[in-house]
This record gives sequence, structure tokens and C-alpha cells, in this order.
Amino acid sequence: MSLFVDAVGFGIASGAVIALGAVGFTVQFGISNVLNITYGALMTLAAYLGLVLVGWHLSVWLALVVVAVVIGGISVAFNRALVSPLVQRGASPFGLIVVTVAAGIVLQYVVTAIAGPQAQTYGEQGNSSIGVLGMTFSVAQVTIIAITVVVMLALHLLLTRTQLGRAMRATASNRTLARSCGIATDRVSDLAWLLSGMLCGAAGVALAITVVSFDFTLGATFLIPMIAAAVLGGVGQPYGAMLGGLVVGLVTQITGALWDPSYQDVVALGVLIVMLLVRPRGLFGAAWSARRLLA
Amino acid sequence: MGAAGYYATVLLVYLGTDLLAAWGMNLEFGVAGVANLAYIVVIAAGAYTYAVFALPRATANGGFQQYILGLHQSFAVSVLAAAVVGALAGILIGLTGLKRLRQDYQAMVMLVVSLIAATVIGADTGFLNGDIGLSLIPNPFANLAPTTASWAYVALVALACLVGLVVMRRFTTGPLGRTLRAMRDDEHAVAAAGHSVVNLRLVVQAVGGAFGGVSGALLVAFIGGWSPGAWAYAETLAILTAVIVGGMGNTAGVSAGAFVVYLLLLQGVQFLPQFAAHPGLSEDLGWMVLGGLTIAFIWLRPQGIFPERRPRLGIARFATAGAPPPREEAGLGGAAAPPGP
Repeated sequence: MSLFVDAVGFGIASGAVIALGAVGFTVQFGISNVLNITYGALMTLAAYLGLVLVGWHLSVWLALVVVAVVIGGISVAFNRALVSPLVQRGASPFGLIVVTVAAGIVLQYVVTAIAGPQAQTYGEQGNSSIGVLGMTFSVAQVTIIAITVVVMLALHLLLTRTQLGRAMRATASNRTLARSCGIATDRVSDLAWLLSGMLCGAAGVALAITVVSFDFTLGATFLIPMIAAAVLGGVGQPYGAMLGGLVVGLVTQITGALWDPSYQDVVALGVLIVMLLVRPRGLFGAAWSARRLLA
Repeated sequence: MGAAGYYATVLLVYLGTDLLAAWGMNLEFGVAGVANLAYIVVIAAGAYTYAVFALPRATANGGFQQYILGLHQSFAVSVLAAAVVGALAGILIGLTGLKRLRQDYQAMVMLVVSLIAATVIGADTGFLNGDIGLSLIPNPFANLAPTTASWAYVALVALACLVGLVVMRRFTTGPLGRTLRAMRDDEHAVAAAGHSVVNLRLVVQAVGGAFGGVSGALLVAFIGGWSPGAWAYAETLAILTAVIVGGMGNTAGVSAGAFVVYLLLLQGVQFLPQFAAHPGLSEDLGWMVLGGLTIAFIWLRPQGIFPERRPRLGIARFATAGAPPPREEAGLGGAAAPPGP
């Protein structure tokens, strides 16, 4: 039983990281309507940028914030330089996905060429632990969970309580209509890529902290649980991705503890496939996402 | 045999197997517009099938590697089995595409299927020896002298390519080829003309899968080993790049594309000077250039170096005069296609 409780604790911790990543992935998709597979490689880049900053004796948490800002900028630049011009030229959705896959591979190998293929680490983040309801968390895990909760709350407030958030939601549900209502949809799109990049950067560093040892495949591997979480919640829906992240984190960790750790990602895929077969529009099945995903 | 001669046979075998894979991918994506980002999985399925058909029982070599079957069959039977399993794997992958999901969403699912297949095979050590992979996979000419064996194998691969080319013509030309190209350009029109789009898609993926399966089998019988590291999802991009660079829908163009991508790029980088501080830098560079090439072509010349030739029938001139340009739903798009929503 204690094994199970521990696994739940780990599930919540890893779910927090997955949720950070999945929300970033889904927010950008919801608004720009482009599936960005480069996201995984950007996460790898974030982890290695964090490594540089940690090498300069910055604290990992400061590094997380700095990297989030930097990756946010890179994400906007990526959209402006590559994705958005291609969309304007009328590239097909598949063409775009191939471009983001290719860009991800280029980025991943640039990182490998510079940093080398060997495994890297930020070092252990203290060994004091905190017990909650029989579950044991390291201080780093608790901090990451706290960061995730704060970021999610901030995102919720942004989306529901501000003019900007309303503009974002309007753009996501109907871009043309939003534009004819006077919303600067290109500006909103930039902002979505910025937000997505920042979450991606934060998730990349947080992931590197939690897994301790990582290499250049970090982001590509993490894409599976992240996409599973995003699909579980319905791609394009931030709240769905939050919940999806938690569910995927819990399910994978519990499987890992009770069955076989090497099957964690397989379970994430199981979740993905079942969702696609049964409810391709996500658990909540909002009407607009149905319109977007089903041809 | 000299090292150069041996290297030549290796390159020719690689080229032959890559051609088969690129043709299969071209049939699926270039001709029929079926986007399959899990294509490397059918190649892997073929390679593994050949291995477990040709290898003796797992206990025969002292049990240092574990795998299922171990039927110790002849080369021909094993390659045939690889073709069949490749076709079945293609159909299985094709079934996930039958849900009426958006094209990019399907592509993402296939990408994940590809990642997962490698994870599952890598995790299960009893099935196909996990991450370490299989080795000592039998070569049909193992009992000949090395030089003769290598060139005999080149001849065998050349024969397979010749057969492949004849089979491929059956699907890319004539009424069936035209129907498939029409499906790529406008699925609804083909359905309205009385064709079952579902059947056509599955047939295409079965044939494409069989090509991939044979390609994998021929490769693995030559190199003798196969592991999940050999079929990372990036490999699908390499095949796709060959198709895009060469010219989607044009078999000759795609062959040129395979030559450029595999021989000039992925093999060529190995002739760059090695840096002691960065082992593997040249391969990294190869992948960077490959990704860049894909992006550049989709941006600048989505139709490829040798674009597909449109049929030049007298009647076609009248049919297309004044008509709007074809929708490029399945292609990679470009300046001709109207901007998406």
C-alpha cells in the first residue's frame, strides 16, 4: 500500500511537469491552429540552457524563470520566421507538421552538436523531504508543484478576467470573426506563442530537475505523455490539459510502481489511443474543439 | 576484396533498400496522399520478421539473445513473411487513420505510434531482445567468399528493385494510379465517383507496407543486426525528405531524391573530417542539413526537383481551362493553394 501511496505522490509531481508542458502545447495549438512538434526539441533546448545558467552558479529556480523568458522569445521568433509565413503561403496542415518535425530534429541535433551526446545533470536539489498524507515529496518536487499551481491560476485569471484573455479565447474559437470584431489576431497569436514558449521553457527546466539526469532525447521522449495529456483534455483546451497532465502523471507513475517502469510511456499511449477511438475531442468534448479536429 | 569495393557494395545495398522504402512512401504520400509518419515502423516490422524467420531458435546460439519464433526458414520464405507482416503493419497503421480526424492530428498520432513502437520493443526484452536488438541475422550468401557474397547480394537487391519497380508501376499508372492521384487531390470527388476511399487507403498502406517490409528485410539480412536505435522516428523524416526533394508522385524523381538524401547527405557526411572532441558531429550535421532541406523544399519548392507530370490528354486541356487550381489538401501546399482558415 505504501508503494501505491508513494506512486501517487510521484504521479502528482510528474503530473505537474506534464501539465506545464501540455498546457503550453495546447494553448498555442488552440490559438494558432498549428500542431507544433518542435515543442519537444524546444524543451530539450530549455533544459540545456538551464544547464548553462546553473553552470554560472544561478539557482535552478532563477534559471527556470530566465529560461522560460528566453524560450518564450525563441518561440515567438520561430512562429514569425517559419510557421506564420508558411501558413500565409497556404501550406497544408501536414506540410506544417512535417516542417515542425524537421525543425525539431534540426534543433535537437544542434543541441547535441554543441553539448555532446553524454548525459547531463543540474545536480541534486537538496535532500530534505516533506511528508503530506503519507506521501513523501522532495523540496524540488513541492516547488515544482507550487509553480505549476501558481502558473495555472495565473493562466486561468488571464483567460477569464482580462480583456486579453477574452481576445485569446475569441481568437481560438473563431479567428475570422475575432478579427472582424477588431481583435488584433496576429498580436494574440504572438502572445500565444510567447506563453507557450514560456511554459515550454519552464517545463523543460522543471523536467530536467525532476529526472535529475538527462540527455538530448529529453524533449522527444517527453512528447508522448505531454501529447497524451493534451489529447486527454481535448487539444486546444487549457483546463483539459491541466487535468490531463495530472491523470497521465498519476496513471504512468502508478503503472511504473505496480507493474514495470519501462511501460510508463506505453500506458501514456494506451490513454492516447483509447481517447482517440472513443472521444477524439477530449474528455469534456467542447463543441468548438470538435469542429477543429474532425475533418 | 579492397575496402573501396566492399564500401561500394554496402552503398549499393543501402541505395537499393532506401529506394524500395522511398517508393513505398511515395505511393502512400506522393501518389495517394496518405500521410504516414509511422512509415519506419513497417520497415522495422519487416526487418524483425525477416530476423525471427531466418534465425534459428533463441537457444541455438547459447541463448545470448531472446526472441520469439526462430523458425530457421530460407531467405525467400523470410523475405516473403517480411512483406506480409509489413503489409499487415501498414494496414494496422492505416486503420488509425480511418477516424475522420484532421490531417495534422492524424500525423501526430502516427508520430506517437512510431515513438511508442520503439519504446515497447525496447522495453520488452523477451520479445525481440529489447533495446540491445537482434544480431547474427543470417545472410543468404554466408557460405560464399566475402567478395562474391557481397556482389551477389547487390545483384539480389537490384533484382528486388526491378520487381518493385514493375509492381509500383501497376499502382502509380493506369486507372488505379489515376484514381489514387484523384483521391489525393479530392477525396470527396473520388468517393462520389463510386470508389471506396477506405479500401483505397488500406490497399495503398498495405502495398506501401509490403515495400517497407521488404526494404527492412533486405537491409537486415545484409547488415546482420537490428535494434530500436536503427528505427528512430527521425528515419521516417529521411524517407519523407527523399520523397519531397525528389518530387512527390513521381517515381523517377523520388528515386533521385533517395539518392540525394541517403548517398550524398547521410553517407556523404561521413567523409567530413572528424573532430576528436565531438564524436558523431558529422552525423549530427547530416541530420541538421536533412531537416533544413525538408523545410527549404516545403518553403521554396513543395513540388520537388522533378515535379509530377500531369497527364497530357487532349481532353484535359478543355477540362481544366478556366477551372480553379486543384485543392492541395493532401500535398504540402504552396503558393497555388488558397490560404487556410
